[in-house]
Amino acid sequence: MIRACRRRTALRRRVARTLLAGGLLLTLFTAGCGVRPSDVITGRAAVTGPSAGAGLYLISHGELALVLRATKPGPGPSSPTETLALLAAGPTPSERSAGLSSEVPPGVAPAQVTPSVDEPGITVTMSGAVLPLSTVAANQIICTVVFAVSGQGSAPVTIVGSDGTRPPWPCPLE
Amino acid sequence: MTPWHWARAMALGLRVRLLLAFALLGVTTTAVVASGSYFQARTVILQQAQDAAVASLTDQLSKVYPVVSLPPSQEELEVLAQRLSDREVDAVVHYGDLWSHGTGAADVLTPELQREVAGGRVAWQRVNRYGTPVLLIGTQLRFERSDGTSVPSGVEVYSVRSLVTEQQSVDRLAELAWVTGGLSLVLAVLLALLAAQGVLRPVRELGRAARKLGEGDLSTRLTVRGVDELADVARTFNDTAGTLERQVGELRRMEADARRFVADVSHELRTPLAAMTAVTDVLDEEADRLPGDAGQAARLVSQETQNLTQLVNDLIEVSRFDSGTARLALDEVDVAAAVNATLRLRRWADRVHTDLPSGVIARLDPRRLDVIVANLVGNAFRHGTEPVSVRLRAEPDWITIEVADQGPGLDPEVLPHVFDRFYKADTARTRSEGSGLGLAIAWENARLHRHGGQSGSLVAGNTPDCGAVFTLRLPRAASETVDAGGVR
Repeated sequence: MIRACRRRTALRRRVARTLLAGGLLLTLFTAGCGVRPSDVITGRAAVTGPSAGAGLYLISHGELALVLRATKPGPGPSSPTETLALLAAGPTPSERSAGLSSEVPPGVAPAQVTPSVDEPGITVTMSGAVLPLSTVAANQIICTVVFAVSGQGSAPVTIVGSDGTRPPWPCPLE
Repeated sequence: MTPWHWARAMALGLRVRLLLAFALLGVTTTAVVASGSYFQARTVILQQAQDAAVASLTDQLSKVYPVVSLPPSQEELEVLAQRLSDREVDAVVHYGDLWSHGTGAADVLTPELQREVAGGRVAWQRVNRYGTPVLLIGTQLRFERSDGTSVPSGVEVYSVRSLVTEQQSVDRLAELAWVTGGLSLVLAVLLALLAAQGVLRPVRELGRAARKLGEGDLSTRLTVRGVDELADVARTFNDTAGTLERQVGELRRMEADARRFVADVSHELRTPLAAMTAVTDVLDEEADRLPGDAGQAARLVSQETQNLTQLVNDLIEVSRFDSGTARLALDEVDVAAAVNATLRLRRWADRVHTDLPSGVIARLDPRRLDVIVANLVGNAFRHGTEPVSVRLRAEPDWITIEVADQGPGLDPEVLPHVFDRFYKADTARTRSEGSGLGLAIAWENARLHRHGGQSGSLVAGNTPDCGAVFTLRLPRAASETVDAGGVR
């Protein structure tokens, strides 16, 4: 009786083992024949290249959007002062029709862009009052200056006007 | 062996087990190897295709620079998309709310891919579009600055590339794997059959030899081939058979010696016994005239001499059977008359109930018939109770003579030994009146009569209403036997 039981157990164990092996093989086979969908695979950084003309930040749907304008022949951005003048002039009609706007008032130009004196960063000296400027307008100016001044990726920008100085602030865009 | 047993033996037989083991091994190995190489090759194929597609897209995109105006118009997006598309690739360009259209490929873009692209890296993903695999590649267009950083332009480019050719390559790989697996399975089965043949042939030979040995052919030997375990078994078998043959031969020789000794002794005793019988005959006649104890002693000696003579005669008869020299002296006999003569000669005719139909003629040895009937009837008188009956029955080829008594019958334990030599049913009675060989001799005599491959028989049994019955069966036309020695 005991032996019969043992034999039956052994048989059951053998059957179980065979089933397990078979299942493993089957899974291996069905685990993917052909081309299976995959997760997202990330490679190197996105495609980069040079830009030409003046780059300035306007507002699209309440967010900053980069606009390039062909101002002069040849590659490379134009000077920060010229760019700020363009920014103060506001969007062109075609840009306006594309849904772009600006909160920078025309009175702030002309402006001078110099390196900050006692700290790393850039100082922009404006013609008009700067304290009443909205945050969006200040960000437009800061990001436009940072884009125009080469080599100052995340430097804080100090805006100085006839009525005072805004605290240094980096461009909120990366 | 029932058919079910046979089927089970076949199903669990060595050949089937070997076959299964080999097939399993072959299939497992092939499956592991083939699937391993299949997966690896598939990965390589897809990786190469993906890398090539990504490199091609980024190469084409680097020719877009320098970008001179932003935001792009719808026409500019369409133109760019057109430039990037070809026979295999659908490109989609996206800026803010604007999508280049015309292909409808934008539907397959997954949210996770768009998230990854918005993070500023080239990203790709394989997805299924209407049952066919496609590769999605996405990247932003960014502007580099002199300090090495870059800013997003807001333009995103996606390319949708069909992977059908890769799918075909992978499918061909799978087909190849299946074919390889099938071929290796066939190979494994062939090898298994070969191996089973190699193992099974010696086993079958061993079985055949063992059967022959069991049937009594002690000279059976196996041919020892090779040096493996089966050869070991064959060698052991040969040794065992050799030992067995030697020992059985020795036993037979000893038995033959013993029989010859008995025969010799019996013969040697005959002459002195004949002299003694002559003397005791005289003594017998004089016994009545001898006074008292002397007369009694003379009668005793005479009686014992007669018994001894009977015993020696029986021993000589048995020796003849054992040595195979017993021969039939056949004659046409009226069986009823022969039996009546036997009874009359021994003065039993009045005490025995006979049922002997006359006219039953048989060709047999009348002397031996006389010995058998006398032994059976005498035995019935000695051990059974009267009335003793003798019945004769005739069949076309056989005659049957039944000798029955009304005694207590034969004990079931005694039945198998009734015809053994010197067998004493009653162990308490150490000295029987007979020699103890009577029934054995009757049995041998019955067997000596043969007809058409069958020999005569003598069977002991009990009648339903108690009493022993011995049934003698003899052929009506007995022939001279070839093998006279009975094997009990």
